[in-house]
Amino acid sequence: MATETRETRAMPETREPITLDDARWQKVLDATGGWAAACYQCGVCSGVCPWGRVRGPDAPPVSVRHMVRSAQLGLGADVMPADAPLWLCTTCRLCEVRCPRGVPVTDVVLGLRELAWKEPWLQERVPPALAGVLWDVHFDGNPWGQPPSRRAAWARDLGLAAFNPAAHEALYYVGCTAAYDTRAQHVARALVNVLQTAGVAFGTLGEQEPCCGDAAHSFGHKGYFGELIETNTRLLLEKAGVSEGSKPEKPFTLVTTSPHCFDVFANHYPRLAGVFRPLHYTQYLAELIDSGRLTFPTPLPMRVTFHDPCVLGRGNGEYEAPRRVLAAIPGVDLVEMTENREGALCCGGGGGRMWLETPIEDRFGQVRVRQADQTGAAVLATACPYCISCLEDAIKIEASKDGTPPDPDGMKVLDIAEVAWLALFADQAPAAGRERAARVSGGAR
Amino acid sequence: MTSATPPTVVVRGPAYPPHEAAGIWVWVEQHDGVVEDVSRELLGKGRDLASRLAQPLVAVVLGAPQHAGVGAADAAALGADEVLVVGHAALAHYATDPYTDALDQLVRRRKPAILLLGATPDGRDLAGRLAVRLYTGLTADCTDLTIGPSGLLESHVVGFGGGIAAIITCQRHAPQMATVRPGVFPQPAATVRSNASERIRPASVDLDSAAERVRVLERQVHAEAGLTRAPVVVIGGAGTRGDFHLLEALAETLDGEVGATRVAVDQGWIGRDRQIGQTGVVVRPKVAIACGVSGASQLTVGISGADTVIAINSDAGAPLFDAADYGVVGDLFRVLPPLLAELRTDQPKAVTAERRPA
Amino acid sequence: MRIVVCVKAVPKPEEVGMNPETRTLDRSKARSEINPPDMHALEMAFALRDRVGGTVTLLSMGPPMFVPYLRLGLAMGADDAYLLSDRAFGAADTLATSYTLAKGLERIAATAGPWDVVLCGEESSDGATAQVPPGIAEWLDIPQATYVSEIAPGDGQTAPAIEVRREIKGGEERLRVPLPAVLSVAAGANVPRFFDPDRRAIAESAEVVVWDAAAVAADPALIGAAGSATTVAAVESAGRVERRHEMLSGPPEETARTLAGVIRAALSA
Repeated sequence: MATETRETRAMPETREPITLDDARWQKVLDATGGWAAACYQCGVCSGVCPWGRVRGPDAPPVSVRHMVRSAQLGLGADVMPADAPLWLCTTCRLCEVRCPRGVPVTDVVLGLRELAWKEPWLQERVPPALAGVLWDVHFDGNPWGQPPSRRAAWARDLGLAAFNPAAHEALYYVGCTAAYDTRAQHVARALVNVLQTAGVAFGTLGEQEPCCGDAAHSFGHKGYFGELIETNTRLLLEKAGVSEGSKPEKPFTLVTTSPHCFDVFANHYPRLAGVFRPLHYTQYLAELIDSGRLTFPTPLPMRVTFHDPCVLGRGNGEYEAPRRVLAAIPGVDLVEMTENREGALCCGGGGGRMWLETPIEDRFGQVRVRQADQTGAAVLATACPYCISCLEDAIKIEASKDGTPPDPDGMKVLDIAEVAWLALFADQAPAAGRERAARVSGGAR
Repeated sequence: MTSATPPTVVVRGPAYPPHEAAGIWVWVEQHDGVVEDVSRELLGKGRDLASRLAQPLVAVVLGAPQHAGVGAADAAALGADEVLVVGHAALAHYATDPYTDALDQLVRRRKPAILLLGATPDGRDLAGRLAVRLYTGLTADCTDLTIGPSGLLESHVVGFGGGIAAIITCQRHAPQMATVRPGVFPQPAATVRSNASERIRPASVDLDSAAERVRVLERQVHAEAGLTRAPVVVIGGAGTRGDFHLLEALAETLDGEVGATRVAVDQGWIGRDRQIGQTGVVVRPKVAIACGVSGASQLTVGISGADTVIAINSDAGAPLFDAADYGVVGDLFRVLPPLLAELRTDQPKAVTAERRPA
Repeated sequence: MRIVVCVKAVPKPEEVGMNPETRTLDRSKARSEINPPDMHALEMAFALRDRVGGTVTLLSMGPPMFVPYLRLGLAMGADDAYLLSDRAFGAADTLATSYTLAKGLERIAATAGPWDVVLCGEESSDGATAQVPPGIAEWLDIPQATYVSEIAPGDGQTAPAIEVRREIKGGEERLRVPLPAVLSVAAGANVPRFFDPDRRAIAESAEVVVWDAAAVAADPALIGAAGSATTVAAVESAGRVERRHEMLSGPPEETARTLAGVIRAALSA
């Protein structure tokens, strides 16, 4: 029996010869910026891919190498494996750190996704749910299908000013998730309080704030992403009070709640250069701390571990800003997980996975919260609304696995902005430190 | 592929003038002899309207000969002054053409002032077609029906997802037609009347000349109405700890459906087809009752279209309270039992109403 | 298969308010969208054309501001688009609207050749009557099937009929529908495809044929307010957009009574 299997593997006689299609190959090259050709099939990517951590020995393996090979062979349904990781990829970039050829695998994946939207020979591979998300962005201005008129509802009692280039140093770009997700709204509220405490003169775009286009970008829908960039660029230039091509004396800081929005503004809006300076809020808080505008006089005794959001860390090389914020808070004891910074494990929510269902046994978040738990930290801090959602879900599932009610003193997920808020306003919270963020920042209303 | 002559618009004109019209008619929808709840509810409301106008309440039952009679007896017991029964093989199952033809003939013959139908899929299919056949006005999904000062039917409707309310009348055409969604009006109590059978009158219609257009190949009715069209959805989350029996009882009492959050589905407590939210089903019920649901946006996206959201959670900081109309901080296992008791004592009909066979 | 899809643009329902002074609907702040149920009709049409070939034609009745939405339908893949636009069509109820659309369909058949099937969304998100599709079918005296969730090509060339699956209360049925016919597509029957940005650029300059009442030979007595059988006697804002955020506390029995009242009120609203 064993011999037979080996023979079959060695000689796949049933396999039809693959005919290379030059036209397709050219499309693949164009869509991947030529990078599909650079891969020499060493397989390190497949080896480090987090999917290998969650897929059991019986489940089909997720092979990045195989997918790139299929692309090199013209990407037809005949060579693309049915379980290709094209839409499984969370664009966490862990493989890119290790790739000896320096292939930006995420760009290859997004390029192949772009082809999947456009090319009939691949079209069936776009998960149908993603079209619905793009329609929501188109008609509602956000990927959550929420009413545009409610975008600023979360801040109704905060008295936030409309961004005014004459009066403000920063534009706070709230982002769709923080504007509509009831959990992430607490992060936005906490951040607003912290910025106000530091005396930052800032405004928002209120109901007029558009979707940055991260969903379209992560789905590989280059065409629609380009359309959003075009419209949003025009809107943002108008809001900054400058005409196309001209620049203000000093660029306005554009602060985002989500590292995804930051990534998009920093890397895909070239015409905003010199007009806006995109920063993730952790970077901005670190600057405020450095310049002495933000200080934490009261200690916050709390053992914290930090989960690096992929798009902030590997995506944009920012590992230190969130840690600098934590270090500035007396009493906070930062304990690192074994996998941190360049080696951090993804939460599972990137690359459009937030809008796709993942079976519980396939979620990276479960592995990640076990890693966090091993540090003995009371708080698993992070700095991305998607990470919060995935990690909180994972904690709920881990906690209720044995059928017992969740431990109220168990590890909590907090955003860095919420930790900073606690340090500033802990005395106003019903119970400091170990209370969940929702309750705590609820005290700030 | 298509016949040589494309279809052209046929203008039939009004059936009869409003001043000749009298009588409140209710189309009694029945399937295999089981009368729809909404038809019972309409007979109750029809009784009110008939009293206001001092006109008779007439129930119209269409169906196979053996089934129409059962529905007719029900209608008579529910207060109809007269029950018109058409038993015909072509009416055994609902089909647009024979049902439209039959009602059209009866209406033209007897000239009712008002014709009410339930806003079920079949009721809306029939009403929309019949109104054009009779060249008259039809209002949809009325939330109330009243009689105006001049004796006109006032249909209260909502539009734009419930944001706008309007009163609509139909002055120059007859009959004044309206559909009403199930559950809007209470069911009248059935009474045993000695002369009930005398009020049942068989009626005949000519269905043989009409060519059958659409053929029903197969009809399957499941026990459950489905999450997307349920008026009430009771949603369980992690806080149920896998025990859904109170939620099921609540859904049953309110003629609703049970849904669940992703976490509850992930735990295998309930089937994936029950998942509500971004990656599950989006529901638009009149009432969503979330029990032990914390309120991740994954879930709230799925219920943002609900008219009323009630949240029950022991965690006062649960984000769902921010997305709810009414919140109760408490253990669902303590909150639900008295609620069930309250709903059951108050609305015996909802609990004891006959259920259609699966 | 020649397919016509009836579509309309609707204001996003939660953003329509009342002007308290004029007591008329205020749509000025509302963003519009293609009526969501119509999106499912569009997708069903494209999927059918993908399978059996043919064309997809868009038909709408409304003001000129509908044109961009028809262009969006063209960017999704439609072949051509017609808009019935005339002040005389205004203030139409479903009787007059279905007549007008039927006249448009008559004219499309006369000028561009006969069509096989008309697809509509099950209802519109603003009026939510579901009456227009059966109305069109009756005006044209052709078969209808409502709440269609799936469509299968029938016996093809020899017998002009299609087989459809229709949602009914608590179940479904399979119907054989002779063509030409009008089908209303059940909401949620499919996932509407996203538009193609490359096509969008072309669609921006594509012609949308606009016909007025005379162009479709509509009887002035049967269109607009004159052709409507119903009258809006009063309009008011039922306007509750925000959630109430009312926290109930007290003994369980008291809470239960309050909740029961809330539920009953909500069910009869």
